[in-house]
Amino acid sequence: MPSFTHTWLPYIYLYGLGGIFFISGMLLVKKAGAIDLTKKRHRYWYRVLIFGFFYFMILHAVWILAAMYL
Amino acid sequence: MEHKPVNLESFHNIGTSTDWVVMLLYFFIVIAFGSYFGRYNRSTKDFFFGGRRFSWWLIAFSIVATGVGSHSFIKYSAKGFEHGFSSTMTYINDWFFVPFFLFGWLPIIIYTKIRSIPEYFERRFTPSARFLATVLLMLYMVGYIGIGFLTLGKAAMPLLPEQFTLFGTTYDITLMGVIIVIAVITGFYITFGGQTAVIFTDLLQGFILLFAGFFLFFLGVSYVGGWDIFWNLLPTSWKLPLADFNQPNSFNFVGIFWQDGVAGSIGFLFMNMGLIMRFMATKNVDEGRKAATFNILFMLPLSAIVVGNAGWIGKAISVAEPNVVPPNTNPDEIFVVVASLVALPGVFGFIMASLTAALMSTVDTLINATSAIYINDIYRPIKKFLKSDDSDKKKTDKRELTAARISSIAITILGVLSVLAFQSFPTVYEAHGFFHSTLTPPLVVAIFLGLFWRKYTASGVITTFVGGVAFMILGLHDPIVISPFDHGIMMDPNHPYSYIRALYNMLVCFGVAVLITYSTDYQRKVVAKIKALSNGRTIMYGVIFLTIVFFLMVTFNVGSVPVQFILITLIVIFTALSVHFFIKYDDQANTEGLTVWSVQKAKEYFKGSKVNEEEGEVIKVHWKLKEGDDEETVNFSVNDMKKMKANVGDLVYISDARKYLGGLKSVHVTFGEPHNEDGIVYITNEEKLNGQFIDGRILTAEKEM
Repeated sequence: MPSFTHTWLPYIYLYGLGGIFFISGMLLVKKAGAIDLTKKRHRYWYRVLIFGFFYFMILHAVWILAAMYL
Repeated sequence: MEHKPVNLESFHNIGTSTDWVVMLLYFFIVIAFGSYFGRYNRSTKDFFFGGRRFSWWLIAFSIVATGVGSHSFIKYSAKGFEHGFSSTMTYINDWFFVPFFLFGWLPIIIYTKIRSIPEYFERRFTPSARFLATVLLMLYMVGYIGIGFLTLGKAAMPLLPEQFTLFGTTYDITLMGVIIVIAVITGFYITFGGQTAVIFTDLLQGFILLFAGFFLFFLGVSYVGGWDIFWNLLPTSWKLPLADFNQPNSFNFVGIFWQDGVAGSIGFLFMNMGLIMRFMATKNVDEGRKAATFNILFMLPLSAIVVGNAGWIGKAISVAEPNVVPPNTNPDEIFVVVASLVALPGVFGFIMASLTAALMSTVDTLINATSAIYINDIYRPIKKFLKSDDSDKKKTDKRELTAARISSIAITILGVLSVLAFQSFPTVYEAHGFFHSTLTPPLVVAIFLGLFWRKYTASGVITTFVGGVAFMILGLHDPIVISPFDHGIMMDPNHPYSYIRALYNMLVCFGVAVLITYSTDYQRKVVAKIKALSNGRTIMYGVIFLTIVFFLMVTFNVGSVPVQFILITLIVIFTALSVHFFIKYDDQANTEGLTVWSVQKAKEYFKGSKVNEEEGEVIKVHWKLKEGDDEETVNFSVNDMKKMKANVGDLVYISDARKYLGGLKSVHVTFGEPHNEDGIVYITNEEKLNGQFIDGRILTAEKEM
């Protein structure tokens, strides 16, 4: 069985630190008014951005589990 | 096919004459395809940007070939063979910076009508910042082209014999020789085709590439006996999607996270002019967002399989049949070895042709983009400085188009020469990693802070370029300074910290930028005192002279680490003071419409008046030519304008109604005074030519803003 440093540590680092960058970006563009949630199209993009983050996060988690247990 | 005993030795003569015929045929078709679309260039705007007209799907698929090529099947197959599925890491870590791109950089570059990244630096900061950004960006782009050529050369070498005889003389086939021949072929259609040719060639290749990559995967899995056998042959550690946290030094998660996930992702989205020009070729910002999102969410993960699977198959075969693919096969050759093993003659030729042609597309895109930088940031400023006559716009445009084509050739030559710098690395992957870690950080930090931090000043950005680069040079000479950031990665003395140096480089650039920006008031006070002196200007010339001397001392590694650290600190202080002394910077004028905080202003600048945000319908109309009207406007009926919720002076996008053309026949224009003929739009002859509209064809029209 591969060690923690090869399985979940990179995952936590990737989505922990990457998550900080991502949330900073979301907050920044919202605060700056570049994304305006009163506009329908911008609300759509806001949802797409959040979906994308969890899409990759779940993809990697499932992949690690599959590698370890399948 | 001749297989040598493989102890990291090179393969030669892989492939049959059928493969060569297929490859030549493929290249001929691709070049003919590109040349056909070259006729859509009517100006330098079309040559570089494709006329800002295309639909998202066309751009999204045309980016596949660029993305796959630039990240290259050779290097990812190599890492797939050495480390397994974690070769996909770099294709699935770009999302973190997408919000910054979609709602920051993309609208700003499109609405400010900036033609190159250095031009942004001039408008956001000062012409001096543009000059330094041009130097750094040209180095980055030429280096990127060099990496592309190196990969192409390594892909072609196993297919060729070791020697050939011509007129009784025997010549060795060398990597550089192969690269030069490839460069000549590569330079051909970009020089005569332009951006539209590249977009359409890439579109074709994007589809073929995905097909060829998955076909190879299918053939490979079948070769080893099916999916279950393939999956069970791979060791568990090979199946994991992320590499080990900090070992080995040639491929570790944390180093690659900072080199690729952070510096690379920002570099890819924010400063890869080739990619940015693709987004600028979309018909509007929303289409650009769709293209980028679709590419990152779906095409990049698929591309990761396309480029890495030969390595995974190679690993499985090496476990099951080590006599067929020895475990110590040269990783950079595994793609060609596996493809030749699992594919029939002719099919192997097709796979090789599609993948090398895609890589050529990447190089072409980069050459085109570098040529755009040359025209915008070197050629035009020089012409302006020389006060050359450009009153005749058509003549000027023709001259620039010629200059663009000549510069494409020169850039190709520089790209070939830059290969020499990367040859010493054990694999293309490491060469590319080192290159990215070293050349992207100053520009990445400068673009990022320029865009998102209103307080970031001209002295901040120039000091980032000068002082940040000086600190980076210190890291090159004395890697010991990088060790506090190494996360436990062992240093390879031959190629120290190829990846994690990106973290050090970004931190020093970021540190310099923040320090200088926050001490702006203090610097202004010091400069005011110097200006009050009668010999203030002489003092500042002396300061600049000392800065240059100190920078040269750091560059040539004169003095110990502490001494160089002191010299760099002085360089930072002196540069900041010099910028304040000699360069004017207006906090208001230099930020309005140029940062994420004023995107709406940028939109108004783009339109030239207040923006009409009302959402209207997309309508279908027939077109008629205006007679004797030179105005660059089009005229719709009152009712049609109501449907579109448009006013006179608003911007409209008119396109051939056939959706599969993806906007190839389209034009951006302004609403003129309305008439009363519903379903008819009156256009000028120039608009007809720009839009390439055909008599009798229905058009769609949508208000932009």
